[in-house]
Amino acid sequence: MSLFAPAMTHLARMDAQTVLTYRVNFGLHLLGRLLQIYLLKVVWTAVYAGQAEVDGVSLATLIAYLTLANLQTWFIYPEAVDVFPNRVRSGAVALDLVRPLGLLPQLIARSLGRTFAVTLLVGASLPIVALVGSLRPPASAEAAGLYLVATVLAYGITLAIGIMLALTSFWTLETSGVGVLFLFVNQFFAGALIPLWFFPDWLRTVAELLPFQTQAFLPLSLYFGRLQGGDALHALGVEVLWFGLLWIAAIVVWRRAIRRVHIQGG
Amino acid sequence: MRTLRIVLALVAASLRAQLQYRMNFVLWMVIGMVYQLTGFFFLWALLARFRAVGGWTLEEIAFLYGLRLLAHALTVVVFGGLQNVDWTVHEGDFDRHLVRPLAPLVIVLTWFRPSSLGDLLGGIALFAAATRLAPVDSSPGAIVYIALAILGGMFIEGGFRLVFAALAFRLQRTNALLGFADGIFSNFGNLPLRIFGGAIEVLLTFVLPVAFVAYIPASVVLGHASELAVQPPVAYLAPLVGGLVFGAAWLLWRHELPLYQSSGH
Amino acid sequence: MSEPILRVANLVKEFRTPRRAPGLVGSVRTLFTREQNVVRAVDGISFEVAPGELVGYVGRNGAGKSTTIKMLTGILVPTSGEVLVDGLVPWRDRVRNALNIGVVFGQRTSLWWDLPLVESLELIKRLYRMSDADYRRELDRVVELLELAELLPTPVRQLSLGQRMRGDLAAAILYRPRVLYLDEPTVGVDVLAKERIRSFIAEMNRTDGTTVMLTTHDLRDVERLCRRLILIEQGRIAFDGRVDELKARYSMDRQLVVDIPDHGGPVVLSGAEEVRREGPRVWLRFDPRKTPAASLVAELASRYAVADLVIEEIDLEDVVRRIFVEQSGTRT
Repeated sequence: MSLFAPAMTHLARMDAQTVLTYRVNFGLHLLGRLLQIYLLKVVWTAVYAGQAEVDGVSLATLIAYLTLANLQTWFIYPEAVDVFPNRVRSGAVALDLVRPLGLLPQLIARSLGRTFAVTLLVGASLPIVALVGSLRPPASAEAAGLYLVATVLAYGITLAIGIMLALTSFWTLETSGVGVLFLFVNQFFAGALIPLWFFPDWLRTVAELLPFQTQAFLPLSLYFGRLQGGDALHALGVEVLWFGLLWIAAIVVWRRAIRRVHIQGG
Repeated sequence: MRTLRIVLALVAASLRAQLQYRMNFVLWMVIGMVYQLTGFFFLWALLARFRAVGGWTLEEIAFLYGLRLLAHALTVVVFGGLQNVDWTVHEGDFDRHLVRPLAPLVIVLTWFRPSSLGDLLGGIALFAAATRLAPVDSSPGAIVYIALAILGGMFIEGGFRLVFAALAFRLQRTNALLGFADGIFSNFGNLPLRIFGGAIEVLLTFVLPVAFVAYIPASVVLGHASELAVQPPVAYLAPLVGGLVFGAAWLLWRHELPLYQSSGH
Repeated sequence: MSEPILRVANLVKEFRTPRRAPGLVGSVRTLFTREQNVVRAVDGISFEVAPGELVGYVGRNGAGKSTTIKMLTGILVPTSGEVLVDGLVPWRDRVRNALNIGVVFGQRTSLWWDLPLVESLELIKRLYRMSDADYRRELDRVVELLELAELLPTPVRQLSLGQRMRGDLAAAILYRPRVLYLDEPTVGVDVLAKERIRSFIAEMNRTDGTTVMLTTHDLRDVERLCRRLILIEQGRIAFDGRVDELKARYSMDRQLVVDIPDHGGPVVLSGAEEVRREGPRVWLRFDPRKTPAASLVAELASRYAVADLVIEEIDLEDVVRRIFVEQSGTRT
């Protein structure tokens, strides 16, 4: 266990560096996100058709929400799980399995590293983002605190999902296409394209049965002060529940994956 | 003609080669289709709550979206092979296509992409459904116009693919640029461009002819023609834009092909 | 000569590569940049090839031989100069020229990678507008000559290098082109397969009268197959003529290869020069006009404990090496 911390920090730093080196890649991602925020702004402005408020939500608030939601779904996406299938395919995963650290902690370390770097870069890009969309501070100190807790839980949830998806590459090698679809599903049900309060009823029910709302919708509802008191606690409760469920699932999948590796001769 | 039969034989060969990877083939077909429809899913969910976007109802949006998807699907089916030029040239693997008794461009077009079938299915499905639901002008003239417009849209987007493929002989790595242009067509081409306001709409009409792919033709047959940034006569001639764009792209290809350096060997 | 089938006159090819910055931004910037590196891969070469000739085209890496072939086949457009193949300008009359020629690239296959070999040949049939009867006849012929019967149903990607090369050859001559370009066809292929390929090429040239242009590094290909040799160095022709003339002109030397097991030091003989040594085996060069072979052998035997010896002609490789050295000497 004494090797744990330094080894994980090392891995985290390695992946952080990789992200920073791919500045152009990041630039393209940023452009893509800005484009999406811009499109959403235009479409929503058109949809509001001049009304000041719809369902008690002003256009300005909505656009601020969408801007932040798009940033949120970006930096808490664990990119390392995109790299993993390639490592399986190329056989480099053998190295990972031999390292003194377990595979699971390694994946986590890598993800953390990348997320940290991406967050830094995103932070640096905030001025441009503010030009395209709009930014707002949290509704109150309490709202900010709740938001942070919710975001940390959300990150854990996304990590668990990402790890499970990554580990499926031990069973099938074709994961790239599915990843693209997952991205959309994740974004959509996280409320990054349409906030959940504007979903048609039946779709809202579906969204509330899925873990994705924890990514952006719930944390940002807390951020904007739309959920307070009992409602806020309920939201956090939902997040904790998903966190628990998905991590249990992730560990089960992980154990199966390791077993499969041993069966196949490593 | 004999050339046509040769072309079909080559396409069939490309298809057979890809069918070897059956799982992959089907998967990419499905993914392609679903991915194309996600954009529409967003609009559909949105318009379940709101009546219209920029004065366009859900049915009209569906028609616009379906029209563009169909044109796009045809582009990928017919011109999909152009996406491989970038990589082939970079690897220096284009040589062998230049010694065949068939125009290199034609050879490139026989390279089949499995995702194109998925796109086509999605496009046809959405377009068919939308024509039934939307208040579309269904006079014979309008039908001919729309059919030509779909072809025109195919030639516009195909023309841009040809441009980037042509530039690959000079620059080698152009697929990133293609992806960017494709992104613009995909993201803006499905929406009623008037919601973007003057400057952008002008940009996407006269600089990058995104509007001509679907927005202008759809406007014409849905009775929105008066809102357009272009005058009616130009709107009716929308299909011709495809011919112009593609013609220019073809000239560029002919100009750039002699610059091929066959490096990487 | 009778009307030449290949005519190359003052052919020049320059490659301009812009100083490119990496990545997407670099790509865009390249569109506007002026800075360029200019390399003259082919610097004014001229030659003619008569129908039915089997010409060896030899040069070091980067000498310009592949570039020349690419211009002859229409893959590259010359910077200046003239190329005529059977009266056609290759890059301009691309389709008509292609019907006349067959090409085998040593390093890359022209076959359809994922499909069985026989399907590649069927596609060739279609591309080159062969009739069913012609195709069947030619297919039988190449299958027999190249021993492809068992390989026909195999996907090309599963063939070994030697097998794939035979497949490429079959595809290149199936439609009986007038000119055959072979770009390093024996590279990386094992010895037996090499010989098989060489005899096939010789056969093609002999029975069909196919004009063959063979670029190669391996001078044994040339010795075995070619009567004429064109040597290219730094984009220019260093020699163009018959192989035996080349040997005669540049060297009358013979080589004496002797095994002297127990001798560690240098071998000293009057009139002979040690050029190479591997263990007990020593290569000596001598000019038989000055030092008769017999007297050399006698001296050798009297001085050293000779286990075995053999006298050879100087090989082509040596001659060519000498020419290159000479050329680069006079060049700079």
